[in-house]
Amino acid sequence: MSAPCQHPIDERALLAYWLGEMAEADEARVDEHILGCGHCSARLGELVALAGGMRDAFRHGALQVIVSDAFVKRLARQGLQVREYSVARNGSVNCTVAPGDDVVVSRLEAPLGGVARLDLVVHAPGLPAEVLQDVPFDPARGEVVVSSNMAQLRALPSLRLRFELFAVEGHDKRLIGDYTFNHTAHRA
Amino acid sequence: MCNETPPRYTSLAKAGRCYLRPVQNPPTEGLEDDAALARRIAQAQPGRARGAEAELCRRLAPRVRLYGLKHLRDEHAAADLMQQVMLMTIEKLRAGALRDGEKLASFVFGICRMSVLELRRGGLRREQLLERYGEDLAPAAAATEPLFDLERVAGCLEKLPQRERSVLLMTFYEDKPADEVGAQLGLSAGNVRVIRHRGLTHLRECVTAEGTTA
Repeated sequence: MSAPCQHPIDERALLAYWLGEMAEADEARVDEHILGCGHCSARLGELVALAGGMRDAFRHGALQVIVSDAFVKRLARQGLQVREYSVARNGSVNCTVAPGDDVVVSRLEAPLGGVARLDLVVHAPGLPAEVLQDVPFDPARGEVVVSSNMAQLRALPSLRLRFELFAVEGHDKRLIGDYTFNHTAHRA
Repeated sequence: MCNETPPRYTSLAKAGRCYLRPVQNPPTEGLEDDAALARRIAQAQPGRARGAEAELCRRLAPRVRLYGLKHLRDEHAAADLMQQVMLMTIEKLRAGALRDGEKLASFVFGICRMSVLELRRGGLRREQLLERYGEDLAPAAAATEPLFDLERVAGCLEKLPQRERSVLLMTFYEDKPADEVGAQLGLSAGNVRVIRHRGLTHLRECVTAEGTTA
C-alpha cells in the first residue's frame, strides 16, 4: 500500500492540472507527484471517474441542461444526431423527437444585452411551472440554448409546452420572451 | 509478472468504466512502500520477485493510466501507454537501472514522457510490445469497480443549480479549461473556476451520500 500523502495537491490545483490550465513546469511537478502518490492519484482517479459519469449521463440523454452554440456544433461534428429548433422571440414551433435523435436542442432567441440574470420558466399542461433560476447565457449571441432530457422528452404525449424567459433585476422580473412548442409524440 | 493468469486486456477496458471510488488513506503499517518494492525487484534475480512486481504494478498501473489520459486524452492510447510503461519499468528494475528506490516516481515519469512521445509518433503498440517482451511480461490491469451507476450520477446532476450543471458538463464533456467554457457562457474564467469547484463539491456529496437515492 502507498503511504498517506504528506503534501496533498489542493483540489483546485488538481482540477487545473487535469484541464490543462497549468504552466508546463507546474504540470510536470504534478505529473511526477501523481505517479509517486497513491493518495493523490486516487483523488485524481475519482475526479476522472466523476467526469466520465457526467459525459455518460449526457450521452444517454439523462440531463436537461443549458449549453452553448459552440458545444452543440461540436456534438454534431462528433457524429451525434442533433435535432435543433430555433424559436423566435414570442414565437412557436412544431416539434418532435425521433428514435435516432441523440440530442434535441431548443434555441430561444431573445434580446439579452444588459441582462444580468435570467430565469427560465417551463409550463407543461397539468403540472406546476418549473423554474430554472439563474441560467447561464452569452449576451452577445442573443439566444439561450436548451438541451432536453431525452428520456423525459420521449415519454411526452403530444402536447403544448411554453417556455418563458425573465430578466431578473433585484426583486423585479421582466418577461423578455415567450416560446411555444407544439410537441408531437413520435409514432413508431 | 503482474498477473499470474492474465486476461491481458479485458480489464483494461474495465478500468475506463469506473465512476467513483471514495478516497481513503490506506493502512500502511507493516506494508512496503513503493521504493522498498522497487529495491526488492532490483535486488532479486530477474523474474524472481514476482510478488513485489505484481504489487508494484497494481499500484503504478492506475497512476500511469491517468498520466496517459491526461496527456493523450484517449482511453485506448492510455491503455497502450500503461502497458508499455509497466513493461519497461519492470524490465529496467530487473536490470538494476534504478539505483535509488526513492526516485522511483521520477524514474517512471521519465519512462512515461518518453513513451508518450513514442505513442504520438505511432511507435510501439500492444502487439509489438508482446512480441518484444513475450507472455511472461503481461502487465497488470488497473481494474477498478464501478461503485455508482449512471442513473445516480445523472440524478445528482439534475439536482444541481442550472449554472453549476452547465459549467460542469461543458467543462468535463471534453475537459475544457475555464477560459474556453467562460467565453461560451458569458462568464469570466475566474467565475467558471468558482462555479465548477462548488458544483463538483455538490455533485460529489450527492453521489457519495450513503443510504440515499439521487
